[in-house]
Amino acid sequence: MSQVLHPIEQKILRALLEKQNLTPEELSQKTELSIDQVRRGIEWLRFKDLIKISESEKHFVSLGTRGIEASEKGLPERQLVNHLKSLFGYSCEMDEAKNQLKNEFSAAIANAKKNGWIEIHENRILLKGYHDVTSDERLIKTIASRSPAVISLDEIEDKNALDSLKKRPDFLTVNSTKYVTVVLTEKGVETASQSSSQTTDAYLTRAIDVEAPTPTIFAARTHPLQDIIDEVREIFVSLGFTELIGNSTQSSFWNFDALFIPQDHPAREMQDTFYLKNMSAKKVATPNQIKRISAAHEKVWHYDWQLNEAKRMVLRTHTTCVTVKALADNKYDEARLFSIGRVFRNEKVSYKHLVEFNQVEGVVVGKKVTLRDLMGLQMEFYRKIGIKKAKFWPTFFPYTEPSLQSMIYNERLGKWVELFGMGIFRPEVTKPLRIKTPVLAWGGGIERIAMLRFGLDDVRELYNNKFSWLRSVPKCQ
Amino acid sequence: MPVVTLYFNRLQKILERKVSIEKIVSALPLLGLDIEEETKDHVNVEYSPNRPDFSTDYGIANGLQGLLGIKLGMIKLKIKKGKDAIKADSSITKVRPYITAIEARNGILDDETIRQFIAMQEDLHNGIGRRRKKVSIGIHDLDKIQFPLMYNAVSRTHRFVPIGSEDEMTISEVLQKTETGTMYMNLLEGSEMVPAIIDSVGNTISFPPIINSKLTEVTTKSQNLLVEVTATDKNAAEDTLAVVAYILQSAGFQLYSVRISGANNSTPSLDARNMLLDPTLVTETLGLDVSPSVIIKSIRKSRLDGKIKGQRIICTIPRYRADIFGPIDLVEEVALGHCVQNLDPTIPESSSAGQKNRITVLLDAARSTMIGLGYSEVMNFGLVGKHTQYDLTSRDASRMISVADSKSQEHHILRDALLPGLIDVLSKNIHEPYPQKIFEIGTIFDKDNPIKEAIHLGCVSAHGDVSYSEIKSILHSFLKTGFNLPCKTTADVNPVFVEGRTANVLVNEEEIGLIGEVAPAIIDNFRLRIPVAGFEIKLSGLIFD
Repeated sequence: MSQVLHPIEQKILRALLEKQNLTPEELSQKTELSIDQVRRGIEWLRFKDLIKISESEKHFVSLGTRGIEASEKGLPERQLVNHLKSLFGYSCEMDEAKNQLKNEFSAAIANAKKNGWIEIHENRILLKGYHDVTSDERLIKTIASRSPAVISLDEIEDKNALDSLKKRPDFLTVNSTKYVTVVLTEKGVETASQSSSQTTDAYLTRAIDVEAPTPTIFAARTHPLQDIIDEVREIFVSLGFTELIGNSTQSSFWNFDALFIPQDHPAREMQDTFYLKNMSAKKVATPNQIKRISAAHEKVWHYDWQLNEAKRMVLRTHTTCVTVKALADNKYDEARLFSIGRVFRNEKVSYKHLVEFNQVEGVVVGKKVTLRDLMGLQMEFYRKIGIKKAKFWPTFFPYTEPSLQSMIYNERLGKWVELFGMGIFRPEVTKPLRIKTPVLAWGGGIERIAMLRFGLDDVRELYNNKFSWLRSVPKCQ
Repeated sequence: MPVVTLYFNRLQKILERKVSIEKIVSALPLLGLDIEEETKDHVNVEYSPNRPDFSTDYGIANGLQGLLGIKLGMIKLKIKKGKDAIKADSSITKVRPYITAIEARNGILDDETIRQFIAMQEDLHNGIGRRRKKVSIGIHDLDKIQFPLMYNAVSRTHRFVPIGSEDEMTISEVLQKTETGTMYMNLLEGSEMVPAIIDSVGNTISFPPIINSKLTEVTTKSQNLLVEVTATDKNAAEDTLAVVAYILQSAGFQLYSVRISGANNSTPSLDARNMLLDPTLVTETLGLDVSPSVIIKSIRKSRLDGKIKGQRIICTIPRYRADIFGPIDLVEEVALGHCVQNLDPTIPESSSAGQKNRITVLLDAARSTMIGLGYSEVMNFGLVGKHTQYDLTSRDASRMISVADSKSQEHHILRDALLPGLIDVLSKNIHEPYPQKIFEIGTIFDKDNPIKEAIHLGCVSAHGDVSYSEIKSILHSFLKTGFNLPCKTTADVNPVFVEGRTANVLVNEEEIGLIGEVAPAIIDNFRLRIPVAGFEIKLSGLIFD
């Protein structure tokens, strides 16, 4: 079978096979479908190139004011005849008839004479023997019998009657209307004849056009970036990590000082870090923690460490402040922790930089953990998230030593791009906080993973909240 | 991060070995250098500011020689005893107390070498010099100077001809009229007297930390140089001097000491130092079972020296490697010398089961309940603009939390509510079909000390027939389906919503948020052409503590 047609389509095709050039209304009549069903069917069939729509003009004839009068009382000549019939001797004076018929008098006389119904002798009208129904009368009757009282020009067979009535003022009105009609295309004729010769009618009426397009419904959904965050979180959990959550607003102490970033370090300047205006923490850490951290700074960096500087509130520049505080508070012998959260950098917003983005960070605490383990965990993470090629390069972070960065291969761009940074916490970080076991740490921006996954070149796209984009991203990739 | 331009033909000459461009480019990242841009004849690399010895192609060439096995071990600073002297006057103590210097003689300078030196000087100023506040460097044509030099404080009416100018200027004029003067004048604020280096015939050769004099300008004709470093910290001054000396020696200059004295200043030694390294620290940290002799070989590839002493290794570290604080930094040098790409990843065993935070689990539940109600999630920033957050929404800005010096007007305050951002999202999507139904779960900030951070749920619905009842039904269904919490709404007034169609939301008699039809004036402000209703409730303290 070439094409499955909807029952609506079939009915329309069959009707057209019998008679072309039908209007939707005529089709509705013939097929007994509702006008809406017909219109829908016409659209489908047009889409399949089985029918064509053509515009044509149709003329309609209806009765004018005198025509309506005539349909009720008869034509003037008939009225004259009827009047004469009612009189003794079947005759009357001209003046009497004039009074009776008023404006219609001359028309009545002229037509009755023409029909051979009357004779006039010395100002007197005499009825003759024959006065049968005329074709004019028949036409008026036909039109009047319609509801509404309109007839298509094509339907009028007696063109003489039409012409004669048209000559008489106000008896008929002729209107023309533009009409849409439907015609089968060649393909349509073929399909329609096949379809009508099909014997499996029962099957056909049940089958529908499974190839026809349908509208898309945009399902309510989570934000694509949230999906990536969830995926990253699941991977960490599957690798045995427990999630930490911490505040976005932090004291400089935990964001910088505890991580061995000296107070005059360029990263702490306002052009890189968001300081909260006129906000200082009341209490940043225990007196012992403060004493030991400040001593570590002064010993290596040779400057006067200031508590007030450490109290200044910042929007965290990394989630490491949350991790390091958890390590200092809990003194784990062994642990696997991770956190995912917003971090902030005072940057100019561009296609590659946002002022606020999501960072994931993991730490492993353990007596025997090594740099190679740290590399192995990265590879495992990348494998799980679908990144096939990764390699490691040395780099520098103030609070880790040794430090590495991982480079991953972006298949789409055909080049290596930086992803996570990692390292082992420096003794200048761990010792003052009484963390006795080595700590492996790594982290990086989740938006980068999202950009890789969604093929984005502009990171801002993730936060534009354009429905067109949000709806276009497949939920599973 | 600072950037160095490396021309391949020049680098190949400095390497003293024909190394292919391909090999150079693949080796650079293994020194910790990030390739920023690569062309046919040069490559731009970023280096980390803790490695100022990589601030020129000479320093990077030394690193490459080690890594590629061309030359191993430490490069010793060979400093001959010189005759010249600088004396610091006690007047300088309160202004910029420390000076140190060295001479570099018999070198050849071409345009590219001078360009490399100038770039190095700027990088050192910005990094270790903390934008010249802590340390600044002056490099001079030695043959234009009459020794001994005096380092002292002068008044702001002191006159000299600064580099880049033809005319004599006062110190005040220099600070106002020259580019570096205006850039760094703040460093001298609060002191009437400023530092100057003046030679024995009264010529000013430098006005640190701002500008050198025209007299001693270095050109391609200069053969002998004086490097002076002034600082607020003696150690940092000598570390910086060591880096410059190292680069000049690598560029073919011979180094001569300059005698420094006066006001707590002294002649720098710039000697290498020794540090003990326990081989077990290397094997335990890297997870690499290697012998002490292999460790020494890797150390030497990183251009340090090492020899075995009993159970340990004595490492020798040149003065220009001030980034090495302790043994763990030597472990990294071993890793680099061994080459990071020769380390095979291993997976540590773990007996622990992982776990999501309980808050995450509950927020996920909240999210999926909203999805079930037909609402889609959007994500906005926490750091937002005042215009949207307060002005366009007629909200009270008295408890606004601002950040200092933001580079963007769209990100300078912390949001205290989610609804403004949600309405803003609708305004970005006016060409999309309605109904539009969205929600956000995010952190909001309340001004207090400490700042209170809470997680809120915000939700808006926009379409022609939207109503208070519809959004209340969503709120009620969310709380019921998600958390089996009953809620009440009591009439209230709120500038965001239409009066008479807004309420407070209460759960167990506690106020948790607000709900209503958004006021027409706000709809107008956001150029929306359709009615909006919404609610915002706190989740912190409601579904978790």
